[in-house]
Amino acid sequence: MTPAETRPIRVALPRGDLRTPVAERLVAVGFEAEGYAEGSRTYQHGVVGREGIITRVFSDNDIPIQVAMGQYDLGIASRMWIDELLVRFPQDSIVPLRRFDIEGDSLVIAGAPGANIARLASMGVVRVATEYPNLAQHYLTRLRIPDYRLYEVWAQAEAWPPEDAELAIAPRAAVTKEGLDVLGDVHRGGVWLIANRAALQNRDLSAALEPLLALPQGTELEGVVVPSPLTGALRAMPRPVAERTAFRIAVPDGHAQRHTVAALADAGIAFKGYEEGGATRHPVAEDPDVVVKVMRPQDMPRAVALGHFDLAFTGRDWLRAFAASFPAAPIVELADLHRSNYRMGAVVSEDLPVETIEEAIALWRRDDPERTIRVASEYAALADEYARSRHLGRYSVIPISGASEGFVPEDAEILIEGTETGTTLRANRLRMIDVIMESTNCAIGSAVRPPGRRGELRDWYVERLSAVVAAG
Amino acid sequence: MTTTNTTSEQASPMTATSDSGLRSAGMRDLGPEAMARFRRVERAFLETTAARDYLEIRTPTIEPLHLYTSAGTLSPQALDRVYSFLDWDGWSGERVVLRPDATVAVARWYAEQGSADVRRVAYVQPVYRFAAEGEREVWQCGVELFGAPAATADGELLLLARDFLGALGLGSVTCELAHAGIVRAVLAAAGLSPVQQVEAHDRMLDGDAGVVADLTAALPQAAAALRLLSSVDGGSAGYVGNLRAALLPSVPTAATALDELEAAARVLDTAGVPYRLLVGTSRSFEYYSGVAFRMSAGGRECISGGRYDGLAETVGGVAAPGSGWGADLVRLAEIIGVRS
Repeated sequence: MTPAETRPIRVALPRGDLRTPVAERLVAVGFEAEGYAEGSRTYQHGVVGREGIITRVFSDNDIPIQVAMGQYDLGIASRMWIDELLVRFPQDSIVPLRRFDIEGDSLVIAGAPGANIARLASMGVVRVATEYPNLAQHYLTRLRIPDYRLYEVWAQAEAWPPEDAELAIAPRAAVTKEGLDVLGDVHRGGVWLIANRAALQNRDLSAALEPLLALPQGTELEGVVVPSPLTGALRAMPRPVAERTAFRIAVPDGHAQRHTVAALADAGIAFKGYEEGGATRHPVAEDPDVVVKVMRPQDMPRAVALGHFDLAFTGRDWLRAFAASFPAAPIVELADLHRSNYRMGAVVSEDLPVETIEEAIALWRRDDPERTIRVASEYAALADEYARSRHLGRYSVIPISGASEGFVPEDAEILIEGTETGTTLRANRLRMIDVIMESTNCAIGSAVRPPGRRGELRDWYVERLSAVVAAG
Repeated sequence: MTTTNTTSEQASPMTATSDSGLRSAGMRDLGPEAMARFRRVERAFLETTAARDYLEIRTPTIEPLHLYTSAGTLSPQALDRVYSFLDWDGWSGERVVLRPDATVAVARWYAEQGSADVRRVAYVQPVYRFAAEGEREVWQCGVELFGAPAATADGELLLLARDFLGALGLGSVTCELAHAGIVRAVLAAAGLSPVQQVEAHDRMLDGDAGVVADLTAALPQAAAALRLLSSVDGGSAGYVGNLRAALLPSVPTAATALDELEAAARVLDTAGVPYRLLVGTSRSFEYYSGVAFRMSAGGRECISGGRYDGLAETVGGVAAPGSGWGADLVRLAEIIGVRS
């Protein structure tokens, strides 16, 4: 019997919004992953009464990659994320087996009220923001838009139109909430059971397949929508862009919001609608020449590089990650706000008997010099840069979007991760072996000072913010 | 637009299969003997084309993706197989590609010259397309003739292709001829929209007999011509005469296309190159606007090409006719290698 046959059947389950409906159905068919329904903070669960099966909780969008890589034999995930992988890598080793009766969200293309795709395409380059670049490219290619730019954003693509992109390809619920017009369907959604092709071919998965295939079935529609092409759309000239007069500021939501509100308050700056307890998309500044928008901090370096904002508050980690992909991007750090401190670095298993990354590499390759070292990270470009700079040799970068502490050591050798105190790492029997950078939050802007009043306003904000930091 | 295909047939004396995993899938090395054959083909190509005033050019390996996304350049299916990525300064979302097709890149070069002058150019450069099996880097040698109308250019290109194969010492040259304009005229006369035309032609290529029945219902007066198109391949210029008699009364817009096809057939008649006319089954409908052809030697397809009059304008230049052909250089090197 080979090792592959003796290892347990591995099933990837989604966290987030899908956790509750999936957990309920799993229990109903006698496939109860211990602690899954309760939202346990541990990532691996056995299955009650079924030996030889382990489950692991992932972000929905990471599950297709894990199953395609063969790290998991089976998985339950949104069809949108499955097809996001399959339209780009049709040779991939995922087999969609069955749609469940869980309604996931669908994906649409949307724009500002009154927007018309054909008219936009005839006017020039069409800018499209999306979290789903592969599905978006598949759709836009078939729509035959002559010239488009995809902004691959981390989240909240619906926040980009109309000021920062003409269109967004995003979940229907999100674009509707944002007040955009839905202009077409891109993906019909659904939640599916998927399997690794080689595992199906070579392993007996029946102990898990039997109960999972007993889950209630949904209507099996084709998920990916193929639009009718725009006809007669010739290449348009570049869209004329008028010089912006408003001074635009991007402020973050999420974890970074609290720190940014505090840093602004210390500098005597406040925006109505941007407080510690909540935020609207467009907070209001006292100065009518200043326009404020709330965005994800991960997307701010791109938005500034594109010239959409004069000042943005993000983390130095995201700035560094962006620079790892686009080193020539015309953005600079204007002020280090010295808040939200944490270390970013290479994390390995606590049990690894090594002190340095070089020793770790030697240990992993001791028995197999050609072994591929897997580096998992939310900061994929930074992980790639790290692997190159540390001469990892043959390596693969596994992009992930959360639940990161569960990856090492089973699903990756190295995790590129940030930590404030190390508590979470220790709780997961991990440790940081190599520090890449100390990150804090910061204000960023264009490498070129904006002209006129926008430049004066930038100077004013940067001076106020820097003065507070200097004062300690 | 020139196309070359790789098949498992070409997995070849020159293609070493590496088990070490150190060479990327779909990529191959050319050792000294293979390179000697490669250079022999390249020399024959450059000498033959230079003798007809084709000047060699080379275009960059990396091009903007949007060069290939307009209708009339690459099909969505072909775009799914390009190697595209964000460059180091690609924060604007503008993707680039490893050149997936030489003709579009050369047409871009011609468009940038800013005139509709006659230009004859030749190139030797690789194209990159994903293939699950087979080669992903294909060295093409090809020619493009811009600014010259079908009446003069089609024959010139056919004879140049024949001469190139002759210079390689390849005999038993045969040709398949088609004309995209004929089917397009029929489909348009049947009242189909441009999108429906593509769908109907795809069904035809897939051997779906129902599409002929549908078209016959929409255009009953062209029933005989449709049967001729869909079920009879031509073997001489006389076939075009038969087609003209059957088709023109109901589809007069096909007249120019028929004239061009007949002229190309007569060039091959004069040159003594046997050919078949495959009007209803010409591939790559989206790309070609006129005569398209595939030339074989000893039963192995060597060269393909055709007319693409709208391409220069599509990629941003002035309107100018264009046509060309291309060959898989390494495949030709294998053929002459086997023969020698």
